[in-house]
Amino acid sequence: MSSAVSTEPLLHRSFREISRPRFRSSTLRPSPPPASLSCAPKSPSFRHARRRCASGSGPRRGGWGGAGAGALLRVRASSSGAAVVEALESADVLFQEAFPLQRTETAKGKIFVRLDQGKDGQNWQLTVGCTLAGKWILHWGISHVDDVGSEWDQPPAEMRPPGSIPIKDYAIETPLQKSSTSMDGDEVYEVNISIKSNSNIAAINFVLKDEESGSWYQHRGRDFKVPLMDSLQDDSNIVGSKRGFDLWPGALGQLSNILLKGEASDYKDKDASTDLEASKQEVRCLEGFYVEQPIVKVVSIRNSVNISVKICPKTAKTLVYLETDLPRDVIVHWGVCRDDSKKWEIPAAPYPPETEIFKNKALRTLLQPKEQGNGFWGSFALDEEFVGFLFVLKLKEEDVWLNCMGEDFYIPVSSTRSSSLIRQKESDSTETSGKTMETNTEVSSTAYTDDIINEIRNLVSDISSEKSRKTKTKEAQESILQEIEKLAAEAYSIFRSSLPTFSAEAVLEQEALEPPPHICSGTGTGFEILCQGFNWESNKSGRWYKELMEKASQLASLGFTVVWLPPPTDSVSPEGYMPRDLYNLNSRYGTIDELKDLVKKFHEVNIRVLGDVVLNHRCAQYQNQNGIWNIFGGRLNWDDRAVVADDPHFQVGRGNKSSGDNFHAAPNIDHSQDFVRKDLKEWLHWLRSEIGYDGWRLDFVRGFWGGYVKDYLDASEPYFAVGEYWDSLSYTYGEMDHNQDAHRQRIIDWINATNGTAGAFDVTTKGILHAALERCEYWRLSDQKGKPPGVVGWWPSRAVTFVENHDTGSTQGHWRFPSGKEMQGYAYILTHPGTPAVFYDHIFSHYQSEIGSLISIRNRNKIHCRSTIKITKAERDVYAAIIDDKVAMKIGPGYYEPQSGPQKWSPVLEGRDYKVWETS
Amino acid sequence: MEVSVIGSSQANILKTDLACRELGLLSFKNGSRVSWGKSQISFGRSCGLRNSGVRLTLKAVQTEAIRPQKISRPQSHGVRLYVGLPLDAVSYCNAVNHAKAIAAGLKALKLLGVEGVELPIWWGVVEKEAMGKYDWSGYLALVEMVHKVGLKLHVSLCFHGSKHAKIPLPEWVIKIGEQNPSIFFTDRTGQQYKECLSLAVDEVPVLEGKTPVEVYNDFCESFKSSFSSFIGSTIDGISMGLGPDGELRYPSHQGLSRSSKVPGVGEFQCYDKSMLALLKEHGETTGNPLWGLGGPHDAPAYDASPSSNSFFKDDGGSWESPYGDFFLSWYSSLLVRHADRLLSLASSAFGDSEVAIYSKVPLVHQWYKTRSHPAELTAGFYNTQNRDGYEVIAEMFAQHSCKMILPGMDLSDEGQLQEGLSSPEQLLGQIWSACKKHGVEVSGENSSDAVAHGGFEQIRKHLSGEDAAHSFFYQRMGAYFFSPEHFPSFTQLVRNMKQPQMHTDDLLSEEEKAKEPVAATSESGIQMQTA
Repeated sequence: MSSAVSTEPLLHRSFREISRPRFRSSTLRPSPPPASLSCAPKSPSFRHARRRCASGSGPRRGGWGGAGAGALLRVRASSSGAAVVEALESADVLFQEAFPLQRTETAKGKIFVRLDQGKDGQNWQLTVGCTLAGKWILHWGISHVDDVGSEWDQPPAEMRPPGSIPIKDYAIETPLQKSSTSMDGDEVYEVNISIKSNSNIAAINFVLKDEESGSWYQHRGRDFKVPLMDSLQDDSNIVGSKRGFDLWPGALGQLSNILLKGEASDYKDKDASTDLEASKQEVRCLEGFYVEQPIVKVVSIRNSVNISVKICPKTAKTLVYLETDLPRDVIVHWGVCRDDSKKWEIPAAPYPPETEIFKNKALRTLLQPKEQGNGFWGSFALDEEFVGFLFVLKLKEEDVWLNCMGEDFYIPVSSTRSSSLIRQKESDSTETSGKTMETNTEVSSTAYTDDIINEIRNLVSDISSEKSRKTKTKEAQESILQEIEKLAAEAYSIFRSSLPTFSAEAVLEQEALEPPPHICSGTGTGFEILCQGFNWESNKSGRWYKELMEKASQLASLGFTVVWLPPPTDSVSPEGYMPRDLYNLNSRYGTIDELKDLVKKFHEVNIRVLGDVVLNHRCAQYQNQNGIWNIFGGRLNWDDRAVVADDPHFQVGRGNKSSGDNFHAAPNIDHSQDFVRKDLKEWLHWLRSEIGYDGWRLDFVRGFWGGYVKDYLDASEPYFAVGEYWDSLSYTYGEMDHNQDAHRQRIIDWINATNGTAGAFDVTTKGILHAALERCEYWRLSDQKGKPPGVVGWWPSRAVTFVENHDTGSTQGHWRFPSGKEMQGYAYILTHPGTPAVFYDHIFSHYQSEIGSLISIRNRNKIHCRSTIKITKAERDVYAAIIDDKVAMKIGPGYYEPQSGPQKWSPVLEGRDYKVWETS
Repeated sequence: MEVSVIGSSQANILKTDLACRELGLLSFKNGSRVSWGKSQISFGRSCGLRNSGVRLTLKAVQTEAIRPQKISRPQSHGVRLYVGLPLDAVSYCNAVNHAKAIAAGLKALKLLGVEGVELPIWWGVVEKEAMGKYDWSGYLALVEMVHKVGLKLHVSLCFHGSKHAKIPLPEWVIKIGEQNPSIFFTDRTGQQYKECLSLAVDEVPVLEGKTPVEVYNDFCESFKSSFSSFIGSTIDGISMGLGPDGELRYPSHQGLSRSSKVPGVGEFQCYDKSMLALLKEHGETTGNPLWGLGGPHDAPAYDASPSSNSFFKDDGGSWESPYGDFFLSWYSSLLVRHADRLLSLASSAFGDSEVAIYSKVPLVHQWYKTRSHPAELTAGFYNTQNRDGYEVIAEMFAQHSCKMILPGMDLSDEGQLQEGLSSPEQLLGQIWSACKKHGVEVSGENSSDAVAHGGFEQIRKHLSGEDAAHSFFYQRMGAYFFSPEHFPSFTQLVRNMKQPQMHTDDLLSEEEKAKEPVAATSESGIQMQTA
């Protein structure tokens, strides 16, 4: 295959895989740009590592736990074949540890597509396969002969291979099975689809998805399309179908490279067809064919390096024995140090074989292959005077450095030190061996805080250095920037509300500074796409959880990563927003068990789940002696102290005055009461652990101070949280003001009060979209500074943009989006920064395919909540913007075409009054 | 020796366009804490120079042992950025204010890659109640916080008060002032400036038998012993306050009403008893006893324009007369002598510590485009069309190895009102070149508490290029600083300031391929021939 076709894995899913600990930080220093394997960390796992160090257990603890325990065994077992065995065995083991090495490797393989005629000469068989290991899913559909456009249809049932799952009404997902055959020694995963020759199927469309990594593989950025009929564009549709099948020759298994040539030929954008198809048009009739397309998959590989340190009784030297299961030649770049400063030094000769001095600063030793051939080893004899052995590993043929969580490996070798460690370890047998390393680091001088600062310093040098910035993935920086942003927000909100604090506080602060506060994100990875998984009517059936469960896979395949479920508690109103007994999760949506099943199902399809929690108010179960309903029942049997004192309707409340606006339908909860907060935190915690919610949609947060929200979020550590802060925009004489800064400032203020731990629905953007679309005043979509005029223009990473929700739309219609223009709204929010949320009613409407396309454009171009946006036009009848220099969009009836400069724009989606382009 | 040098040394080496380059200091000093970076394998980065036949001279490193702060990256083009902590970071009651906010802010700055923070230490807070009774507790707590985050700290010793921060001079000094008003600067109308002591009493024992200079000295010594464990490590610089707002000047604009759009020329502050006595003495010694009886009678009032009276007139103003020269030389020389006293105090107090000493010279840019530069004259800088008033100051700074902080680096000429005939850029250029001539390192500062739009561009300009400032004090942390409208621009500034640096790992592989002989780098002068 000479012309390499690049498939672009759409990596949006992979960001969510942070549940199991990873040690990507070990690849924090990636290779120079030319190396195609990207071994840079992805943000979530990276943050994961950071979080661990912030949680007070030391940066390494999580890293070594578990891995260490097994490693000890491995060290012993594997040393048997080594040359230094005698020396080692005769000595006391001072230190042994296995360090995980995380690196990424690009696995190359191919996707192949084969069409051949069945045995009976009647039916045809399409085989799609892949030579890389993975959990491959064929996501496919068909086009009928008389179809216009690129709509997919579901194939007839007899075509669907066993194990297929229908995705709504237009696609099928079929897992690839490991084939009994192999190809050039590689395992093959494939799926066969048989095609009846008398069907009127014009083409089979598909993409390949790797569920392991969440990547989608396409053909040149589009669906694969296998035409079963010549000339889809011909007007002779019906004839074509008949003729096509009649004329099929029996060229069984014939290899054809026509399609191959097609790929290399000019790529015609204008055609709705891909090259596969275009080239196929040249052939008048269907032939069997076989094509391959190379694919690369970045796989993360875990190796380990095992270190053991012993004293050689004969020479009194310290022997460091190192072995690793890395597959290729490994160079140890090493040195020693005399004290805690970890200052590299070169020890005196002799050195191990294959050692050279590097820049007078370090030694480089090529490791010896193990006899069994499954790794490499080396041993290093050091004089007693040295305290530590420092090294990093390098794969010889590649510019890949492997280090220890971003730092040099440091092995304490001084005998007294280490043996004391061993003793310590033995006396404390409950600890895992992972503890050893932690203790080491502490003993070896780098105090805990220093470690963090060092790590921070690494990060800082990362972001501050332009050059390396290019080699680091954007995601890594993003998580740093996110953290900076969060800290700044925290500082801002305190300074703003700064009542000078005096000594007592200052002392408190000193303590608080000690272990840096546990950082919980609350704002996800930045690549989230929300789906509101219910509407105002969802409670009607009484089995919503079950109904939604059936849609889970479909939502996943549309590209949603987060679903917002309705409020789960016992409630006075069927919709759930008048909660009563918070611990009773049997509601009109279903039972607690159904809810658990639903959450589990969503987790299976890699969708995170937000619980809708109503913290502002709570309905009482009993009247007090004055006949007012303010005595609560259930597990949280609060009395009237829990109700705010200034709630006019439930005025018997004995609590403090409300910290926000009152919600008039139910008693407002007084969050300033410690017992209330404690109970609510416990409740949130319970929801997290019992139900498995990943985060929160916070109802009516206008009702209480954002600082309490921070408190709740800190306690419940959500993955994502968004608050509903909904108040009116500014109008003058019934006309909406252009400048809605005050409105968005109120939302920003709330986010600030939460310390940026939660995002907020961007009500401002919705309001402005209303005015712009309704009145054809698209100029409103640019603020005075040429930025988006909503919250998304000021604090995109905290803005959750939406077009409609259960209150504004659905059957309530309190503030309905201009009818028929919803897609313009989605074209805006799904291409723009911020985290978009799509309303259930729109997902399951005729808009679905358009929304799906927008989502896949967003994912394909890796647009995220902090993407850059340049507004290129904001006039009366048209608004246009370019996002991340990768996607251009316009809404409105007016004309707009993106300027083709260095990048060439090609249209990818067009609908009523909107159009989206991608760079080609 | 601190590690902050590493980044810059890389930046240095990468300047391949320079034919010959002195590498002042790579990072191989003993005891340098290089635990995080991979600097240990980045030595002798020279691939860019290899082909051009360039000679690298590694300067002998022994000299550093004597006064390490002297060699703090003289070649560096990387600017060290410090962000000022709130003026009231330690409150008048000696408690850490907004500690939580500062803690979060410090972490944010650290992550952002800022070098350090600047902390104003107020005389009125530490020595509040009685002479010699120092309470450093609030500041110690704060320094500890900074230290833990791993930022550097620049300390500004403030021997002045601040109305803005509501921090006055020490109570006991104010009490003395009530008895003896002549310890304060006084203007023609008898109005006193109570935010700092008059420079005329520097060496007069007005403070319970001690002179202000002695009191300042005791303060510095106490500071030194209280913070000895931080000085030279966390604390890497000390600013000596020289007058109003810490700046070297007379409070010539003390009576200025804020309402006037164009600031006036200000007034001479030579009317306290001590000043008048000195003036009289000066008149007598120079043979003009009558001239020594008072300040210029024809100087305009605070808010007035230069032409509103005859002293500063462009054409035939008294400032050009022999009397004008008599008065202005005397008035300005007192300021220089005052600075000389305090800087020599500072250099003797801190000379043996590993800290750099700084002082601030104001940027009195109003009316710079007139011939007489009236605002500078009233502030004490005898700088006119005909005479350079900053050379003498730069020279004096050089004598004491003091670095100069110049505020107003965010100001541009365009941003000024036309009718103010002001030119911050030209004045900055003038002072800067005086500093260059005398080898005084310049640090920048922004003018107000926060930089407005366009100011960032201006700062960037001053921090890049050949004669970039070697450090910058960004004023100042607070609510606005972290606000969504400001913080992103600041972040941008920081990221732009960072030199494009190669990652050490990127360098390695190149070097590796070259397999060139390795230069030894011990602590002695080495010449490395890489041709």
